[in-house]
Amino acid sequence: MSELGRLAILVAFLCAVYSTGVIAWGLRSGLAGPLRSGRNALWAVCSLTVLATIILSRALVARDFTYRYVAEHTSLDLPAMYAFASLWAGQEGSLLLWLLILCAYGAAFLWFYRNRLDPFYDAVVMVVSSVAVFFTFLLAFVCSPFRMLASPPADGMGLNPLLQDPGMMIHPPILYTGYVGFIIPFAFGIAVLLMNRTGTRWIEEVRRWTLFCWMFLGFGVLLGARWAYIELGWGGYWGWDPVENASLMPWLVGTAFLHSVMIEQRRGMLKTWNVALIVLTFELSIFGTFLTRSGVLTSVHSFAESNIGPWFMAFIIGSSTLATALILYRKALLESENKMDAIVSREGSFLFNNVLFVALTFATFLGTTFPVLSEAVTGAKISVSAPFFNRVNVPIGLALLILTGMGPVLSWKRATASVLQRNFLIPTVLGVVVTLLSLPLGVKGLYPIVTVFGSAFVMATIVMEFARGLQARKDVAAGRGAMAIVDLMAKNRRRYGGYVIHAGVVMIFVGVLGSSVFQKEAHQPLRTGDSMAIGDYRLTLRGTEQKMEKNAALTSAVLDVSKDGKSLGQSHPSKAMYFKSQQPMTEVALHQTPGEDLYMILGGVNEDGTVSIQAYINPLVSLIWAGGVVMLFGTLIALSDKMRLRREEKVAV
Amino acid sequence: MTRPGLAVAIRSLCVAVLLAAIPVHAADAPAGDTKDPGRAITSQLICPCSCGEVLSGCTCETGIALKGYVDDELKAGKDKDAIEAALIAKYGEVILGAPKAKGFNLVVWIAPFAATLLGFAIASMVLVRWVRGKRAAMAAAPGGAPADPDRSLDALRARAEAELRELKE
Repeated sequence: MSELGRLAILVAFLCAVYSTGVIAWGLRSGLAGPLRSGRNALWAVCSLTVLATIILSRALVARDFTYRYVAEHTSLDLPAMYAFASLWAGQEGSLLLWLLILCAYGAAFLWFYRNRLDPFYDAVVMVVSSVAVFFTFLLAFVCSPFRMLASPPADGMGLNPLLQDPGMMIHPPILYTGYVGFIIPFAFGIAVLLMNRTGTRWIEEVRRWTLFCWMFLGFGVLLGARWAYIELGWGGYWGWDPVENASLMPWLVGTAFLHSVMIEQRRGMLKTWNVALIVLTFELSIFGTFLTRSGVLTSVHSFAESNIGPWFMAFIIGSSTLATALILYRKALLESENKMDAIVSREGSFLFNNVLFVALTFATFLGTTFPVLSEAVTGAKISVSAPFFNRVNVPIGLALLILTGMGPVLSWKRATASVLQRNFLIPTVLGVVVTLLSLPLGVKGLYPIVTVFGSAFVMATIVMEFARGLQARKDVAAGRGAMAIVDLMAKNRRRYGGYVIHAGVVMIFVGVLGSSVFQKEAHQPLRTGDSMAIGDYRLTLRGTEQKMEKNAALTSAVLDVSKDGKSLGQSHPSKAMYFKSQQPMTEVALHQTPGEDLYMILGGVNEDGTVSIQAYINPLVSLIWAGGVVMLFGTLIALSDKMRLRREEKVAV
Repeated sequence: MTRPGLAVAIRSLCVAVLLAAIPVHAADAPAGDTKDPGRAITSQLICPCSCGEVLSGCTCETGIALKGYVDDELKAGKDKDAIEAALIAKYGEVILGAPKAKGFNLVVWIAPFAATLLGFAIASMVLVRWVRGKRAAMAAAPGGAPADPDRSLDALRARAEAELRELKE
């Protein structure tokens, strides 16, 4: 079977090369036959990749240790679901997953656009195929998952304990669906430049594809934060780890694009900027894979390091150089059709929001890569971690929060003084009032105060926008209450979906504020019967328990948890010692409520017989997860909007 | 670029400089850290083993031992600077979560804010140039620019709203 898998990848590589070449020939010659053949070749790449994935998955689940990849990433004691998830635990499997998702996007594109005979769409297919050439090449010639062992071991090396978490089943595929999905906007952008194509239809199509993968990437990032919160056991959810940063960067640039693309749709402006953002988003998503796989930076995510870093670097440099050259070559095509009417306008605010998003990306990129740069220049090793990012990124993020409230309520073209007064007076006053009310609750320091003000300000603008919409529709819509809101949102899903997303962003800001500024921490060695207090909670040690799982030995502390004297039951923070890796892993015990999380960690059993317990109270952390769900919901609303390009083109002057 | 345009860009730049300058110093000590002096120190350090986590939240053996060391030194009367200096002497600057703002490392502190300011300056200049270009073009067009753009816009908006109402009905 392994030979079949290897052959499938090899043939997929040849098909991808053929698809790229034959479409290029078809576009040049104007012949329809080669274009059709190129599309069919991409279908073949997709089919062969699915076949290769099935073969490797079967070997993983069956623990066929004749496969080197299976022997390195699974073991007999590994539960079946984790054996399947090992597909994306290592270098070769991750690349195969990349290719599989790339093919899924390619197949979706071929299916949705099967009746479009415009060669422009063939150019998009050609770009997708050319990226498939790179990944099939890596899998066929650099790091094949189908390498065999001459003498297979009786048991495998097992899976990294960090990855033995249910979140592992969905976090990487969702994140990759976001990462890889940016291939389609990138392919559209390159196709526009190659085909010298003008018009705004393609930009509407790109917006929808971008929104789709942006949603997956954002949700994947949040799932990663949740995984870190539960699995890493340090009481937090975001540590500014290089790989976390790598996933954040394309999301930030993608967000900038989703805002600036509105200016291009409405006003035919910022065309060069938008294409540059598309290219940058795609390159950053490749850079994220490079960071995870190259091992140039220390990361909790460095599960699968190898020597493929230079290949990725070459791809990033090559593709970005080509894209830049094309942008410069087609400069005339990307000329703005309009000019700004006023600085104080929605376009103006979006432009400044783009500056901040790109600045935030640049700060993250610089901070992430600076240890390597500094060591190369000075020879000394340094760290650039959370203390740096909290100082540099937080102020930029807060400025963005304020702009989140300002942009949507400014008029297109020009915001008059009366519009400014009508839209900003109430939110500003509300922001100030809420901030003043928060001061006695313990909010102090510039950042927390700005966060409270910004959050109240943005929420007020969102509520006002909904209220205005409802008022405007009062005469024509019969519904009341919730139905009226549903009706309102259904009429303009993009707009109100955007507001829902903004509300989710505010919830995340408030959650981060609560869980960082008001976090409480206590750590204490306890003997059986001893208690420790944290906030209103009391933890009493009832003893320890030993439990043998299939692949690990579990030591748990048995804690009676009470709040204000009222029992909340027992919690079991644990340490798992995995047999294969002999790595101790923290298993957090969580008592979650909407208001706060009680987060308990077993530090270990000490030589003197005491048990080290570390506990945190993380207020409002549930708002972060809820905010993510709200953002997801808002994005789905915006995505469900039907293409209304013609109507918009008529409205836009 | 016209001189008034340059003036607007410079004003934007000055405002951005002021806005950017405040938070750098304001963030030196997160509010949550002030209550626990040990955490105020360990939240700025990185665990020196390969885990790479911020020391305050690290649960590996090295991290727990080092947190104990910081607490002991504080109890012995040493201050933050002395404890940090001793740790740097033992492990090197790699133990600091953020590099000291000196020498080549100044780049990582200055560049993000410089880039933000540059971005604002360029965006402001482009905006001003576009707005002035548009006004000039309108003035040169037959009939010239409307006497009061705000009022003209309000009139257009009223007309658009009336047409929308008709459409809905």
